[in-house]
Amino acid sequence: MKRVLLLLCLLGFMLPVLAQQTLSGRVVSAADSSPLPGATVKLKDSNAGVTTNAEGFFSLPVSKDKLVLVVSFVGFAHREVPVNLPLEEPLVIALSEDDRNLQEVVVSTGYQNIPQERATGSFTQVSNATLNEQVGPDVLSRLESVANGVTVDRAGLEDQLMVRGLSSINGPRSPLIVVDNFPYEGDIRNINPNDVESVTILKDAAATSIWGARAGNGVIVITTKKGRFHQPLTATINANVTLSAKPDLSYLRQMSSSDFIDVEQFLFDNDYYSFMIGGYGYPVLSPVVELLDKKEKGTLPADEVEARINALRNIDVRDDYERYIYQRALRQQYALNLQSGSDVLAWSLSAGYDRNVDQLAAQYDRLNLRFQTTIRPAKGLTVTTGAYYTQSERTGGKPGYGEIGQANYYIYPYARFANENGSPLPVARDYSQSYKDTAGGGNLLDWNLYPLEDHKHVQDTRDVQDVLANLGVTYRWKHGLSAEVKYQYERQQSARRLLQDEGSYYTRNLINRYTLLDPETGAYKYTIPRGAILDRTQSLLESQNLRGQLNFDRNWDRHILSVIAGAEVRSALTVGYTSRLYGYRPDNLTFGSVDYTIPYPDLVTGAERYIPNMADEDEVLNRFVSQYANAAYTYGGRYTLSASARRDASNLFGLRTNDLWTPLWSTGLAWDVSREPFYKLGFLPYLKLRSTYGFSGNTNPAFTAVSTITYPASSPYTQMPYARFSTFANPDLTWETVGMWNTGLDFAIRGNRLSGSIEYYQKKAHDLFAMYPVDYTTGVGDQVMRNVAELSGHGIDVALNSINLDGAFQWTTQLNFSHSKDEITDYYLGTPLAYNLVTPGYLVTGIEGKPAYSLYSFKWAGLDPQTGDPLGYLDGEVSSDYFSINYGEANLDDLVYHGSAIPTFFGSLGNTFSWKGFSLTARLSWKLGYFFRANSISYSTLYSSWGGHSDFAQRWQKPGDEQHTNVPSMTYPDNFARDSFYAGSEVLVEKGDHIRLQYVSASYTLPAKGTKQGALKDGQVYLNLSNLGILWRANSRGLDPDRYNFNALPDPQSISLGFRATF
Amino acid sequence: MKRLQILKRSMYATLLVTSLSLGGCESFLDEKPDKALAVPTTLSDLQALLDDYNNMNNDHPAGSAETSADNYFLPSATWASMSNEAERRKYTWEKDNLFRIGYRPNDWYEAYQTIYYANTVLETVPSIERTANNAQTWDYVKGQAHYYRGLTLLTAASIWAQAYDEQTAGSALGLPLRLGTNFNEKLVRASIDETYIQILQDLKQAAALLPERTTHVMRPSRAAAYAVLARAMLYMRRYEEAGAYADSTLMLNDKLLDYNTLSATAAYPLPKFNPEVLHESMTGAPQPLSTSRARIDTLLYKSYADDDLRKKLFFKKASDGYYSFKGSYEGSSSLFTGVATDEVYLILAESQARRGDVTSAMATLNTLLRNRWRTGTFTDLEAGSADEALALILQERRKELLMRGLRWMDIKRLNKEGANITLKRVIEDKDYLLPPGDLRFALPIPEDVIELSGMQQNPR
Repeated sequence: MKRVLLLLCLLGFMLPVLAQQTLSGRVVSAADSSPLPGATVKLKDSNAGVTTNAEGFFSLPVSKDKLVLVVSFVGFAHREVPVNLPLEEPLVIALSEDDRNLQEVVVSTGYQNIPQERATGSFTQVSNATLNEQVGPDVLSRLESVANGVTVDRAGLEDQLMVRGLSSINGPRSPLIVVDNFPYEGDIRNINPNDVESVTILKDAAATSIWGARAGNGVIVITTKKGRFHQPLTATINANVTLSAKPDLSYLRQMSSSDFIDVEQFLFDNDYYSFMIGGYGYPVLSPVVELLDKKEKGTLPADEVEARINALRNIDVRDDYERYIYQRALRQQYALNLQSGSDVLAWSLSAGYDRNVDQLAAQYDRLNLRFQTTIRPAKGLTVTTGAYYTQSERTGGKPGYGEIGQANYYIYPYARFANENGSPLPVARDYSQSYKDTAGGGNLLDWNLYPLEDHKHVQDTRDVQDVLANLGVTYRWKHGLSAEVKYQYERQQSARRLLQDEGSYYTRNLINRYTLLDPETGAYKYTIPRGAILDRTQSLLESQNLRGQLNFDRNWDRHILSVIAGAEVRSALTVGYTSRLYGYRPDNLTFGSVDYTIPYPDLVTGAERYIPNMADEDEVLNRFVSQYANAAYTYGGRYTLSASARRDASNLFGLRTNDLWTPLWSTGLAWDVSREPFYKLGFLPYLKLRSTYGFSGNTNPAFTAVSTITYPASSPYTQMPYARFSTFANPDLTWETVGMWNTGLDFAIRGNRLSGSIEYYQKKAHDLFAMYPVDYTTGVGDQVMRNVAELSGHGIDVALNSINLDGAFQWTTQLNFSHSKDEITDYYLGTPLAYNLVTPGYLVTGIEGKPAYSLYSFKWAGLDPQTGDPLGYLDGEVSSDYFSINYGEANLDDLVYHGSAIPTFFGSLGNTFSWKGFSLTARLSWKLGYFFRANSISYSTLYSSWGGHSDFAQRWQKPGDEQHTNVPSMTYPDNFARDSFYAGSEVLVEKGDHIRLQYVSASYTLPAKGTKQGALKDGQVYLNLSNLGILWRANSRGLDPDRYNFNALPDPQSISLGFRATF
Repeated sequence: MKRLQILKRSMYATLLVTSLSLGGCESFLDEKPDKALAVPTTLSDLQALLDDYNNMNNDHPAGSAETSADNYFLPSATWASMSNEAERRKYTWEKDNLFRIGYRPNDWYEAYQTIYYANTVLETVPSIERTANNAQTWDYVKGQAHYYRGLTLLTAASIWAQAYDEQTAGSALGLPLRLGTNFNEKLVRASIDETYIQILQDLKQAAALLPERTTHVMRPSRAAAYAVLARAMLYMRRYEEAGAYADSTLMLNDKLLDYNTLSATAAYPLPKFNPEVLHESMTGAPQPLSTSRARIDTLLYKSYADDDLRKKLFFKKASDGYYSFKGSYEGSSSLFTGVATDEVYLILAESQARRGDVTSAMATLNTLLRNRWRTGTFTDLEAGSADEALALILQERRKELLMRGLRWMDIKRLNKEGANITLKRVIEDKDYLLPPGDLRFALPIPEDVIELSGMQQNPR
């Protein structure tokens, strides 16, 4: 608040203005001579300027008789008009509409369009041209390497787009996505990037606070292409094809087959498997263990077993993945857009078709149709309509690395999918092979899983149909008042159909397990009918938005006032159901029936179980009511003051209207220094300072004032519905607020040789939610959501565009440089357990003065030279008491603090070279200043679930090894605490810093063939190479810090070729 | 002036739009977000919570008790092959770290989760008016909640507290008694005495409120409440009262299952919800007790006569020549930890023997055993003295109630009576001993609970 007051004082000093003579005139549209309110009129070379009032009039103080006016307006071509004073007749300047080369960049907040030169907030706009340098199938994936202040965190399970780093710890971390005017409820991949005109990223509080409680993580506004008035029919076509390489499987840190077999032999000799062999449930055994068992039982000669095992030592499962499973991915994209406009009607029609086949042969087809009109039926009245239809189909492919074999196990490295002749081979799964071979005396279905065959018996298709329709009516009175009503309806219908026929392992296994077998007579009976199992899931999303808004835009004298105020209601209903048919026969559409009410003994274990009943119904309805207002006042084209406020209410449990009507607000100031009369810096014709302060928020569904229960199903015993707790009353919770102060400077050097913005922001997030470990004697689990932390952060976003060479050969550079750092300032948590600070994965460490996601590790004292045991520290002393090191109260002196676990510096650098029609762009991106934890061997995982790691080969084996390795010796029995100490130790922490060559794109633009109807106006062929790899990385392990998790593979390189033409 | 008018008009219009959209908003926002969600306020909501099998019946926290007891052993190689180190430590009665940190649920967690459900019901019931129409349901719901809290505290006390001893109960460490749902409330451990007073109070209230029988044994009945009261009194060594409650139970339900009707070739011959079950509760077998690992103590196995049907119905020969257990009243590898009439017969018999009524004691025992032996082979057991009768009853108690989580408390209790039972495990020629009165008879509370709550750990 203090800062705002200070800025107001400064503003007061700047007000006196000197003027000598006044030039008056009017700016109108060339098409219909209608006045253009809000057009900018500047004096060339002096930058003093004004904007026109509601009738298009302006008056400008001047000191010379001969001058040149520069007149510009959104959507119109700018004009330079020479004027000689005194005027002989009234000055009327007519501007013609222009859909290209917008002089004034307009940013969209989803509620209004603001000329960037009058904006106080922080907006980043990504143009259509920049987006089109890439050919990815969806919009968001194209943003990372081009948008300022945006980064993608890939360390979690799902890639997470983040705007300006971290504002929330445990609340939602995704930015709000707005398409045109409303939040997009459907799958964002529905939107065809070819339909996108531009993307605006709202970064600071002044920009986002209009979106209130959903905007704490930034807002991304996608604006689609619209038809324009007074435009002849133009058609644009775009087609491209992309080919991606197979993934590089040698990247995987897989243990060698020979080492793996040695371990299995060792475990076998120590009777590790003895309780499993023929034991309860006939647990799955690896092929080597089965062979060793046969050798021991004498059912196979020892030398044959040895020979077979030795043959397996040379097998690497990745060869079979490479040969039989992975393929090159192919993507095709076609788009057509038609646009035209008269003086009453403007329309745009587009169609797009995408077809992708990925590296596992999964397919994705998408069809987009779009029709958008703008009508001006009467003076002051504008009606817009839009309809967007998307249909997509996704079909499942083959199983990838890590997806074949035993559930919760890793694949053993010597697995084979086919023999020498290419015939499919089974892999170990669920039960021991000897049991599968003999169970049921031949009366059961084949119980083997054949990885190369199984996907042929599984048809998994997901269809999505999405219809979005909107209607907007705006009425503009004289004097700048307008009222608008916008309505949007969206209906997304998704259906998944999973047909697993009798040839699929899933179906065969289930039928076998539910077969009733009389061990004495051999009589058998299927309780699950033979045939396919068909699962269907349908879900329907229906959302409606209604918004009423009043706008007031008025220019008079030196004043421009722009006010919006409105209210909206939103309702989103999701209805879904799931069903399953057993014994389904697709050829005649018949199906069998099963009895869900009685338990059957499991064939394998004998335990009684019910047949899985997949029927499910759900219905979720979310409703929101919001009010908002935004006002901006500009004086003399130089000073802009903005303010914004919003409040929301919803029907979430416990969030009664009174509780949630917490208003969020922001305010901002902008000062266009270059328009000051005293401004004399000719080399820097544009210089603007702006500063904003305000709040946005985050709500969380876990925020409930009452305990809620959910009814999952009916009890099979009482046939009555039962319930369990869904959320626990948590009356002390309040919602997160993020306060942000943003200061920015926009500038342009003469001729736009260098332009850009530099911004500095500070944010302070209050009452951040986090899962707070609680003593589970409370009965509500071992953690509850609490407002546990305060976070402060600051950062810098620099966006620079330069024209390095201009002329026939042009060289331009775009630099996005971001720095973002956060620090926990308060954390209401006692001393945590050491284990909680070091646990691999994403957990808030919560140490004051350190980033929310900090990387800590156990201090390392080397390997014990006698035993190869890893050594750590306990209370300052070298120790191998792994239990106490892990589970004792954390002593920060025994831990090593490395730094932030998310990048603190990131950005991208693009260079574009053009000569005649040729253009070449190369873009680098980087992430710096962070750490990650590499994987290594865990003996307990190796023994119990076949999870090896190539570090095994480097393990300590004899005294002296500790000189050149940090990999602990193998122990038996396994010691979980020892494994977990090593996994969390400092020797596995690596710097994440790296620079990546994101893409190179080249294009050739054909010379235009004239402006006649039907003639080629613009034609372009282009080539794009992406995921070109890491140019530099700080870690010595050769890991890709974006893909370092076990089983993760780097994105393969891809090449695209395409053309674009406008007629 | 005109400008002012426009401003005025626009303000009115704003107000109009706003109020239009918000006028109906109270009811607009009152719609439930999820049809499957509710705020528990009605008796049927509360009954639905009590009917959640997974929370109320399953994962009854008795696994640690049975893992610590002496009904089974693990061959050294099997012990070494267990991936869960905490379970390996539990098997050899280490003094600490017997519950794996970061991997839940464990028994402590399960116990207090069940208690939370009970507390929610007990806090909500008083806000519902008890009327002539709902009185029966009202009492039923409240009774079930008292029952679950009492039962769960009793099982937890058998694990984390020393045996009840009148002399020391006032000062020895019992359990933290969580009697409300406010999770911000800090708790300290009550004494053993206070713990048992709470248990008895809950169970007595349950017995008063519950109906004699229920629609399904997954819901507790008055008979079940009496049975748990009998068990609690037995644990407190108040044998007279234990006998009285056992007798009350059998007045309501004295059914026994004739084992002659069962098939020994079945994978799990004893059916779930069989007629002896008074109230169902169970737990999945912890790693050491899984059918493929746990081997029945060889002396215990040998103590069954050949005509005793239990020898074939309870045990299965494993590939290593030892026997594994298949006699769970769950009809599966899970452990039955509920209450059944066979236990009540044995409590009654013990009580009768301890008060010197040899005839009644033996009659009670023989009634049970007749249903356990092959038809026509059983001759009534006889005892010359109360001590002889007691010895026979205690031996049958062990043979009947193995793998139900009851033996651990029996060892503690009988050592108080002077039975002088020392437990012994052998791993690779190394002996691990647990002598009578050892502090380790009260298991350590999971270390993370101690860290977070500041509660007192059991002395070591």
